[in-house]
Amino acid sequence: MAYLEIQNVGKVFNTAGGRTFEALKGVNLQIEEGEFISVIGHSGCGKSTLLNLVAGLYPMSSGRIMVDGSLVTEAGPDRMVAFQNHSLLPWLTVRQNIELAVKAVHKNLSETERKALVDEHLAMVNLNAAADKKPGQISGGMKQRVGIARALVTQPKVLLLDEPFGALDALTRGRLQEQLLKIWEAHRITVMMITHDVEEALLLSDRIVMMCNGPSARVGEIMTVELPRPRTRMEVINNPNYYRQRNELLYFLNKAKKEKATGTKVPVSKVRVGASNGLEKQTLELGFVSLSDCAPLAIAQEKGFFTKHGLTVNLSKETSWKTLLQGILEDRLDAAQMVAGMPLGQTLGIFNKTPTTIVTAMTLSRNGNAITLSRKFHDLGVRSAKGLKNYLDSNPGAKELTFGMVYPSSMHNILLRYWLASAGIDPDKDVNLVVIPPAQMVANLQAGNIDGYCVGEPWNSRAIHEGLGFVPATSLDILPGHAEKVLGMKETWAEANPKTHVALVKALLEACQFCDQPENRDEVIQIVARKAYTNADPIYSSMGLSGSYNYGFGRAAQVPDFNVFFKNHANFSTRSEKLWVLTQMARWGLVMFPRNWEEVIERVYRLDVYRQACHDLSFAVPEANYQSFTLPDGSVLDPNDPIGYINSFAIKHEVTISDMKLKPRLLTVA
Amino acid sequence: MTTTNDTITTPISVPEEKSSQQFKEIADRASYVLLPALALGLFLVVWQLLSGTGITGTLPGPLEILQDTDTQRLIREPFFIDDANAKGLGWQLLASLQRVALGYSLAAVVGVSLGVLIGSVRVFRLALDPIFQIFRTIPPLAWLPIALAILRDGPSGGIFVIFITAVWPIIINTAVGVQATPQDYKNVASVLKLSNTTYFFQILLPSAASYIFTGLRIAVGLAWLAIVAAEMLTGGTGIGFFIWDSYNSSRIGDIVVAVIYVGLVGFILDRAVYYAGKLLVASE
Repeated sequence: MAYLEIQNVGKVFNTAGGRTFEALKGVNLQIEEGEFISVIGHSGCGKSTLLNLVAGLYPMSSGRIMVDGSLVTEAGPDRMVAFQNHSLLPWLTVRQNIELAVKAVHKNLSETERKALVDEHLAMVNLNAAADKKPGQISGGMKQRVGIARALVTQPKVLLLDEPFGALDALTRGRLQEQLLKIWEAHRITVMMITHDVEEALLLSDRIVMMCNGPSARVGEIMTVELPRPRTRMEVINNPNYYRQRNELLYFLNKAKKEKATGTKVPVSKVRVGASNGLEKQTLELGFVSLSDCAPLAIAQEKGFFTKHGLTVNLSKETSWKTLLQGILEDRLDAAQMVAGMPLGQTLGIFNKTPTTIVTAMTLSRNGNAITLSRKFHDLGVRSAKGLKNYLDSNPGAKELTFGMVYPSSMHNILLRYWLASAGIDPDKDVNLVVIPPAQMVANLQAGNIDGYCVGEPWNSRAIHEGLGFVPATSLDILPGHAEKVLGMKETWAEANPKTHVALVKALLEACQFCDQPENRDEVIQIVARKAYTNADPIYSSMGLSGSYNYGFGRAAQVPDFNVFFKNHANFSTRSEKLWVLTQMARWGLVMFPRNWEEVIERVYRLDVYRQACHDLSFAVPEANYQSFTLPDGSVLDPNDPIGYINSFAIKHEVTISDMKLKPRLLTVA
Repeated sequence: MTTTNDTITTPISVPEEKSSQQFKEIADRASYVLLPALALGLFLVVWQLLSGTGITGTLPGPLEILQDTDTQRLIREPFFIDDANAKGLGWQLLASLQRVALGYSLAAVVGVSLGVLIGSVRVFRLALDPIFQIFRTIPPLAWLPIALAILRDGPSGGIFVIFITAVWPIIINTAVGVQATPQDYKNVASVLKLSNTTYFFQILLPSAASYIFTGLRIAVGLAWLAIVAAEMLTGGTGIGFFIWDSYNSSRIGDIVVAVIYVGLVGFILDRAVYYAGKLLVASE
């Protein structure tokens, strides 16, 4: 259990006229000890309500909050608050204000010990000179510092900051933020801060919690701030992650604002229409990320395959794989096009997050990725991973190289790591890997924030056409025929909507078949290039999809299998390839390797649904066997000894092996 | 042509404006003293003239009052004692002030306590507030017979009247002040889990202090009003009794002097409470 655990918390206020107002609904949040968390959102999103609930200033309507294992029932100094309007007592001096807190909380201290404690905290916020002044005689910034000192002096388990700098002018605010940063980095107490200032949140926090707009507000997204500590403002604003994350935050806030203005919220329809075709749910919200290989979804929509199978689908273009996954987890999306490792990763609890069983019944596409390196390497004569290794060896003092990939459990991460490691480059030690949404790769390469990336089209093709880089390897060079995108959804959704699930798989199978017929490819290219999908010039999206590929700087080739959607049972996952993905995620420490891996794989890959869909469509289904699996570099995965296979790699992360306790499957709701 | 004229006249007009502004300031300050003095002088002249015509009955004019040797002694020697029934005005005032001090202190203690109680406990507020609202409109002297019936003693009766007159504004203002304690301070108290006594002395009282002092100030004025009336009825000592006694012995000039003293003391009491409040109440 986390240090501060907010579980399914809701708050309903009674308003005038006997009406009620639901400020918060189903808020879940885990904060670790020593973590600095910011909660950000528009006014009225319930963020201050959340803080007051943690503080215990008023009771919650549902759910519970635990701090260090004990239940929050009332206010107390273990969750001390630094209030927005400082709330100092005007009749007491600065010193007396702090003393009041010391006397109330540290009852056993002697007079001299108390005084020492007060002095220490006055010094911490540089206020010794003003100790005997009353709040009315000092500036707003100083008052806020007294408020923070008063909060810190109680030595709380969790420090709650309610927009601490909201009422200050910009200069004072900046100064106090840096002061708080220093104090926090020296003491590392657990902090939950409410703010509406994006820059402040990035500068100070480890993670940023974005609240959806109220009423019935909940946690929208959680962002991990990728800025090294100790931080200073100057270093932070020069870090490439800063602007990317700042934009992501602003994007979220703007989206929330628009939703509020137009009144559209949570598009998943909860209404279940009893239909003649027997589907549990006919209107679906499907998530995708704008890439050439979203083609099966685009085609199913545009060519009427969804409609044919009784489904009305709204395709929701997601800004990043993370947002897409969040949409699935909080039921905003029914299902989504996912990167191949996402169902396994989420089921196993990637990065020690709470596991949620995600299932997949079909593969939507194979191949389609490429690695782009900045043109500077081409100028230096680098052409392959080996060349890159030589460059690293001959320039030991050079700035660490940074590479972008789209999501930790994506094939891009696995392929990029595999490619680097094959040449003896340790992706964790020798270079730096960062998560960047596909559509932002080219801009980051151009800005010099990254030196290369692994992504699907049209985002390699963009860099090549603009002369920014070249492609040293594609999927076909590293692992030809790998599963790239899959149809994923929560297991609970699949259990509740089995017929709809089959119908969805059928519609997408037919769309995949359409995509792979050579005479249709031109139309596929045109459709995928539309604004609703990749919004890229067909010149870019044709690369790969058309079967010809430009590697940059004059090198081009015919690559008919760059994107595969249907042929050679492309939609069927062989058991060995699933196991291979699992071994690679374990190799890089993304997940633990489950001893009961067969059970996990059986649970995640829903062959029953795939078989049913193929049966209905009279498509053939190959036999599912664990066969040994050979890679182009000659390494062989023996399905009887996956752990031995992981250990055979020279470069790898520390691997954890343990049992995965899967939650029992829920019974299907009739 | 006009431009040259302007440049010449402007520098000359500046010092003129300055001196006239200074004069204005001095005149403005002086008017605070001169105008009341003028009004007072005018009043005395009118009074003198009217008393000459006989319109004012037995009330003498200001000049006649000042010429009376006994009255002159009252003004010159506030603390003479001839015998138990003939003492200077200073002694009379002190006797009255003593009663006010007793009754008013009692009212302050009871008023603040009751005010805190009904301000912080809803049940008491609901039960008592309507009763207090009615009681506070009862004129002070109407309480006197009741007080005498209970206490059977003139001086104690006077103290009771002062108490009962002064207590209502203190209760009501304290209650309002307690209810107006900002939520912010209450939050601080609950987060720090302050004990009830600490909360009462460190937060509730200081926060309500400005309201309490408003109540105390209204109360001291009312108490002074009540004592004069009460002493006229109960007799014995005190400035009220002195006024009544002077009337009975037709020493109207003495009454005028005593009344002026009553006014001055009332004014000083009001100011005293005002400055005490200013000293004790923290301003944000």
